Amino acid sequence: MPPIIDGKKCIRCGICAEVCGLDVYGPVKKGTVPVSIYKEDCWHCNACVIDCPAKAIHLQLPLQMSLLYRDAAVTGGQDNE
Amino acid sequence: MSKIKSQILEGDVLVVGGGIGGLMAAIAAADSGAKVILADKGDTRRSGSGATGNDHFTCYIPEYHQCRVEEYLIEHNMSLVGGNADPKIQTVFAERSFEVVKDWHKWGIDMQPHGEWEFNGHAYPGRKRIFLKYNGYNQKKILTDEALKRGVHIENKTPIIEFLTDSTNQIIGAVGLAISEAEPSLVIFRTKTIISATGNTSRLYPSITPTQMFNTAHCPANAGAGRAAAYRVGARLINLEIPNTHAGPKYFARCGKATWIGVLNDPEGKPVGPFVTKPTRELGDITADVWHSVFTDKMQNGTGPVYMDCSETSKEDLEYMMWGLECEGDTALLDAMEHEGIDLTKHKVEFTRYEPILIGRGIEIDENAATNVLGLYAAGDEVGNFRADISGAAVIGRIAGENAAQYARTINLTTENLINHPTVVEKSAFCDTLLSRENGEPWQDLNAAVQQIMNDYAGVTFVRSDSLLSTALIYLKQLEKKAKTSVGVKTSHELMRALESFDLLQIGRLICITARERKETRGLHKRSDYTFTNPLLNGKFLAIAEVSGETQLTWRDQIK
Repeated sequence: MPPIIDGKKCIRCGICAEVCGLDVYGPVKKGTVPVSIYKEDCWHCNACVIDCPAKAIHLQLPLQMSLLYRDAAVTGGQDNE
Repeated sequence: MSKIKSQILEGDVLVVGGGIGGLMAAIAAADSGAKVILADKGDTRRSGSGATGNDHFTCYIPEYHQCRVEEYLIEHNMSLVGGNADPKIQTVFAERSFEVVKDWHKWGIDMQPHGEWEFNGHAYPGRKRIFLKYNGYNQKKILTDEALKRGVHIENKTPIIEFLTDSTNQIIGAVGLAISEAEPSLVIFRTKTIISATGNTSRLYPSITPTQMFNTAHCPANAGAGRAAAYRVGARLINLEIPNTHAGPKYFARCGKATWIGVLNDPEGKPVGPFVTKPTRELGDITADVWHSVFTDKMQNGTGPVYMDCSETSKEDLEYMMWGLECEGDTALLDAMEHEGIDLTKHKVEFTRYEPILIGRGIEIDENAATNVLGLYAAGDEVGNFRADISGAAVIGRIAGENAAQYARTINLTTENLINHPTVVEKSAFCDTLLSRENGEPWQDLNAAVQQIMNDYAGVTFVRSDSLLSTALIYLKQLEKKAKTSVGVKTSHELMRALESFDLLQIGRLICITARERKETRGLHKRSDYTFTNPLLNGKFLAIAEVSGETQLTWRDQIK
């Protein structure tokens, strides 16, 4: 579930929680690793991922939000497999 | 329990919402000499629908377009931002758009990423192009810095939940909710003017993924707070009844259609639209911009689904597209494609229509961005008689800021004790009630219940009719009554979301009333009891307002 913070990389600056427009992290105490307590409210906008100075965050898209795709070539029958 | 902070924040201009419209309003008001406060639900560096960037900016550059503004506006009205607007405001927008572009460029937002004015994408073959390509990945940070430089006081994590007026219907203040602590507290603002800029309204209809309510193309924090608060102080809302839908990748809605350069085609590779067969950076495929039901039409007749196919796009244009997606802030989409192993040279991605949102449907303004309430201005996506998007928000935001500052010079700050204002007393009591309910219903259930009713009786999935819309009004009333006596919250975050859900319910009701009144079929407003488009209603706008406790509907002509 989004977003996921690598506690080993996190420098506990709290920027992710500050910038989050959806308040996914709620109020965060400086000096702690933020936790996404309101993760259902994540927009998946990537703001926290981009702004994390330690590159400690990544988003994991929920399964039901997976992109749907197939081969562009018309000839392919392999999509049935 | 909610407490009220003793410190009252005072300013000439209170900007509500720090998206593109709000920040530009704050900057302009400060430049005009006003003391400005900006309250944002999130943080102005990353809030709103332009949070992580944008790459296309409708703009009229006379020496580039080599035409009169009227000719430019013909293209504007045929594009995704056209329709439902007063030509008078569109003209003011177009005439001032280039000055904003030049300022943005000066401030550090790259409006000429390839060294010249470059108009590409969202375009018809053989026509003038109106979308300036730019690199807006840093737009929110730059505009925040510009606001701070001018002394704008930014109050982040503070959604505004009510506007306050005096007995002469003049704006005198507002109520905010501080969410920076888990325990909620109310913040009172004393101000001469308000510029409402809370964006589009998301979360009114079910998202394409029913279990993921915040999977929306535009920012899901935008839940109609400005529209609802404005309505409650007597502002007219306009054009609510004609639905607008966006489209984009299925099932990840965050970025919307974005800046893809490909052809929309069916599983066999046959293009679904008439505009392009070979995709280029100049055109993209405008089909989905202007044929809003293409995806559902093709699903319903069984010839779908519809894909965005970039496999025939040239290598250079594909690179240009990927760069554009970064400028637009769509890095989450790029990450997701990489994670899935999607290679656009050989894979095509399914697209779909998203749920209706209110954008260019909302608060009515005049050419000075003023509403019918004294001291209340509006800008950005929540304006009802002008479709904003990023460029419209920027320009109308500036106009709102200038005019609010000018108006503020003519009046004094109220001396009323705002803590005893009836709206503050009532709202504070309502918050306390929600907070005191031990095992209350969660706000999510209320929000979802509103969405169900809106989808089934007043949406685009099924038809609309007097029977269905009047039924929706009964159900929404029942829901409101039940929710007021059952919803419970524990934290400031939950309280914010619950209040948003009540705002959504109120706006849903207004949509039903206005949709009932428009007795014709127009665009996505499809009435089974009035299946024709009535030529007598061409260019006729419908406004709704509360006058002395009564709902009042008004028809008017477009203002040229």
